[in-house]
Amino acid sequence: MRSWWKNVWPPLVAVIFFLLVWQLLTSLFHIEQWILPAPSDIARETAAASGGLWEHVWATLKLTVFGFAIGTAIGLIIALILHLIPFLKQALYPLLILSQNIPTIALAPLLMIWFGFGLLPKIIVITLVCFFPVAVAALGGLKQTDPVMMNYMRMIGAGKGQIFAKLELPHALPSIFSGIKIAATYSVMGAIIAEWLGADKGIGYYMMLQKSGYRTDRMFVAIMIIVVLSLLMFGLIALLEKWFVRWKPKQG
Amino acid sequence: MNKENTPALEIVSVSKSFKEKRRTLPVLSDISLTVGQGEFVSIIGPSGSGKSTLLHVIGGLTRPDAGTVRMNGAEVTGQQGHISYMPQQPALFPWRTIEDNVLLAQEVHGPVSREAREEARHWLAKVGLAGFEKAHPHTLSGGMQQRAAFLRALLSPQELMCLDEPFSALDALTRSDMQRWLLDIWEENRRSVLFITHNIEEALLLSSRIYVFSSRPATVLHAIDVPFPRPRREEVTEAPEFLQLKRQLSEWMREEQRKMQAAHQGGSRQ
Ligand SMILES: Nc1ncnc2c1ncn2[C@@H]1O[C@H](COP(=O)(O)OP(=O)(O)OP(=O)(O)O)[C@@H](O)[C@H]1O
Ligand SMILES: [Mg+2]
Repeated sequence: MRSWWKNVWPPLVAVIFFLLVWQLLTSLFHIEQWILPAPSDIARETAAASGGLWEHVWATLKLTVFGFAIGTAIGLIIALILHLIPFLKQALYPLLILSQNIPTIALAPLLMIWFGFGLLPKIIVITLVCFFPVAVAALGGLKQTDPVMMNYMRMIGAGKGQIFAKLELPHALPSIFSGIKIAATYSVMGAIIAEWLGADKGIGYYMMLQKSGYRTDRMFVAIMIIVVLSLLMFGLIALLEKWFVRWKPKQG
Repeated sequence: MNKENTPALEIVSVSKSFKEKRRTLPVLSDISLTVGQGEFVSIIGPSGSGKSTLLHVIGGLTRPDAGTVRMNGAEVTGQQGHISYMPQQPALFPWRTIEDNVLLAQEVHGPVSREAREEARHWLAKVGLAGFEKAHPHTLSGGMQQRAAFLRALLSPQELMCLDEPFSALDALTRSDMQRWLLDIWEENRRSVLFITHNIEEALLLSSRIYVFSSRPATVLHAIDVPFPRPRREEVTEAPEFLQLKRQLSEWMREEQRKMQAAHQGGSRQ
């Protein structure tokens, strides 16, 4: 508990300091609320709006988790296939990298045209932002297997499947998890973008609504919720990682 | 052919060089050696001469450029899975507990029975690792890891054990304990063993035959039979005949060392 506190207090102090400066500046320079609301305004608005917000938060969370699960699964499957078939990896890996140069924001409207306003195009958007970090991290981890352990497995006659299950996969787990952690934070962003483009609920939808009313304070409420959701997803995966790679020696 | 007379391992004229960029590095040159059924055979040779490479050839990890590897009469050159192996670095899997590490080789060859697990625990206690069954390798000292890696080889289902400097990370006292202990279990079970070491006394104490390797490229300089009767006790290390052999081997090793240094200096002067 003490060491936990030791890690947490410096960023906490930094955040509080940042909020204080923000609060001071807005009142010092008399900045209009519709341009930049003070933290206290945002807090007040959050409290006032909280009843109606839950529905949106819940919708976004559901979409995020659903899309994240599918995106991560696809990323892992791609990594697996490319790892097991070196020729495919050679052929497709550059395309994989290339796919990331297409901005999701630009692609999303197209997806809406092709697939309408249902769940499918939204899931595709989230999948597009999630699969890549997972696939790349998993491929990297699977490639960097310890050569001494690999030699040992071969010498005692382990087959390809056994080498994968008993050596390559567990060896790659830490690296796979760092990819999944990135995907977890991206997934919230993906969900928001998807909701901007066509939804009848969700934080993204709420943002669009407030934008048209110049409710900057409520936009900030939405941003805060997005940050919290991202942190939540990240924390969840970090916890899972801690359990799955509990064998790893602690650094430092 | 009856099994008694076919050697457990027969290496015939094995040569191997590594090709790096434009250079070729000859490592093994026409090596022939034999490990009879239930025989304990050691290889000693200077560092970098190619001893580990020879084990890789035997285990099918590296294909020799020429020559054959035979086990129990059948050719197995380039085939994997025929030996129980202890690599020079322990290569324990960090995500497995010590107990699961020790059982890895068995696991690769089929499901691990309850009895096998019991036996593993029993052996762990015997090598001074009681209480570490559920520990992960990084919490163990280098010597403890080596003992775990040794057990993993000992509990492997394959008959022929190939041990690459199994006791090199142990302090002198633990080392001599482990030697005595290995001697005891070997004399009980009589598995065929090919044992690599730098330690002359260790080789003499344990082996029935010792092959002395030259520096790189390795050739078999001498093959000597160690005549002391079994079961051996540690007192044998004080016998005049033992000391005589030890002196002889040290002399050969020193000569190799000198040759290697001379070659090195000759090379660096150019
Ligand atoms: N895969 C490889 N590619 C290129 N060179 C190699 C390879 N493996 C070993 N060598 C070279 O072969 C030589 C013999 O190495 P090896 O590990 O067999 O020596 P060794 O007798 O086991 O030495 P030591 O007693 O120090 O363990 C060394 O010069 C090494 O650099
Ligand atoms: Mg070696």
